[in-house]
Amino acid sequence: MEFELLRNVTIGQYIPTNSVIHRLDPRAKLLATLLLGMAISITSSLVTQLLLLLLLLAIAKASRLAVQYVLRGLLPSLRVLIFLFIIQLLFQGWREPSGQILLDWYWLRITEYSLRFVALGVLRVIEFFVLVSLLTLTTPATQLTQGLEILLGPLRRIGLPVHEIALMNMIALRFIPTLAAELEQIMKAQASRGGADGQAPWWRVDVMARARIPLIVPLFITALRRSEELILAMEARGYVSGAQRTRFARFAWTKADTLAILGMLGIYLLAWRMQWPALTYFL
Amino acid sequence: MNISTRKIVVAGMMIAVSAVLAITGLGYFPVPNLTNDATIMHVPVIIGAVLEGPVVGLLVGLVFGINAYVRYLGLPFFVDQPAWVPILVLFIPRVCIGLVAGWVYLALRRANQTFALALAAILGTIANTALVLGSAIALGLLPVAAVAASLPQALFEIVLAAVITIAVVAAWKQIETGRGGSSV
Repeated sequence: MEFELLRNVTIGQYIPTNSVIHRLDPRAKLLATLLLGMAISITSSLVTQLLLLLLLLAIAKASRLAVQYVLRGLLPSLRVLIFLFIIQLLFQGWREPSGQILLDWYWLRITEYSLRFVALGVLRVIEFFVLVSLLTLTTPATQLTQGLEILLGPLRRIGLPVHEIALMNMIALRFIPTLAAELEQIMKAQASRGGADGQAPWWRVDVMARARIPLIVPLFITALRRSEELILAMEARGYVSGAQRTRFARFAWTKADTLAILGMLGIYLLAWRMQWPALTYFL
Repeated sequence: MNISTRKIVVAGMMIAVSAVLAITGLGYFPVPNLTNDATIMHVPVIIGAVLEGPVVGLLVGLVFGINAYVRYLGLPFFVDQPAWVPILVLFIPRVCIGLVAGWVYLALRRANQTFALALAAILGTIANTALVLGSAIALGLLPVAAVAASLPQALFEIVLAAVITIAVVAAWKQIETGRGGSSV
């Protein structure tokens, strides 16, 4: 049983290294993230995807973060991802148009097209993960929430509860590491009291379920208890839902922010337009 | 729209639980299945909806949906599809989980709490699976055989969701009332 659950939790962690990226306005960072996200989604070219990945890793370097740390957050979902992609590889081979058929073995068919699909999928998942991790690693959650609230502010006119959603997200972000640590404690407590260890063949799902429920239910109860405490704390400090509020922290928009936005806009347009004629074979 | 402090906090906390279940891998149960593991990441949506109403279910489902959208956007299914396809297949079903579960519970809780909890969880999970698979098949992204392939996973998710929902809500209501027993 693995106890060090938080070791691989990189999303939601903020690492203050005070780099150029850290000092950007959170609104700029959010917009840049959005633009990069769109760029990643919009391009079907493998070369562009690789370049985008390199760009992301370069940004990580610029924020004085260890690239290894950022990528480590992928570890927990690695198994699921690999499984998904193997399945994809098996099923996508029969799609038309297929391009060149690389492997034709009874029912298994891998074509140029299917390989490209799967490769694109892998790259996209990694890129999205790194993108979001970068955002949370370089921006404290409070700034993220406030930035998002300001950006979405105009939507309040159409009745969207912008402030409430922003607050909800901030609460979630703030409590993810806390709950993970609590879960670790629960696991240790259960193990030290000789709780079920759930060691069984992988297909004995009932054993695994029986072993995990004593972990999951206390997790929920702890979360609900903390909710009660938080509600009390907020109301005791005079928080009234639906009231007009002003902001304590103001954000100053600098030239660096404009540069970042324009840069990302440029990248998005490039990704949209970029076709690499000489390398069409790989695309 | 005036959403009370309580609803905001519970919704936020349920989102956090969902995230922790995903990040730590505790929410994934390998099932003899052709597709992915059975998951319980939708259970916080159901529990939020049951405890605080369909609005909270909607909010948590919204974030869960955005999460699913970002996470699965890269899948080869969606590579050459128009933009609204992933939204329909990934996002909308998750939003519906909370609404369905919340309404079902509200409608049935006067009759029998345990039954209402179970049905809310079951119908919520079915709503998710049915909508995701249904829209994927209707759009031609998956063969109809995918239904049979995902059946073990779906069944397991339904059972787990019901069990966990009842266990958590029963324990929680007991704690809340502070008395020795509860109606569940």
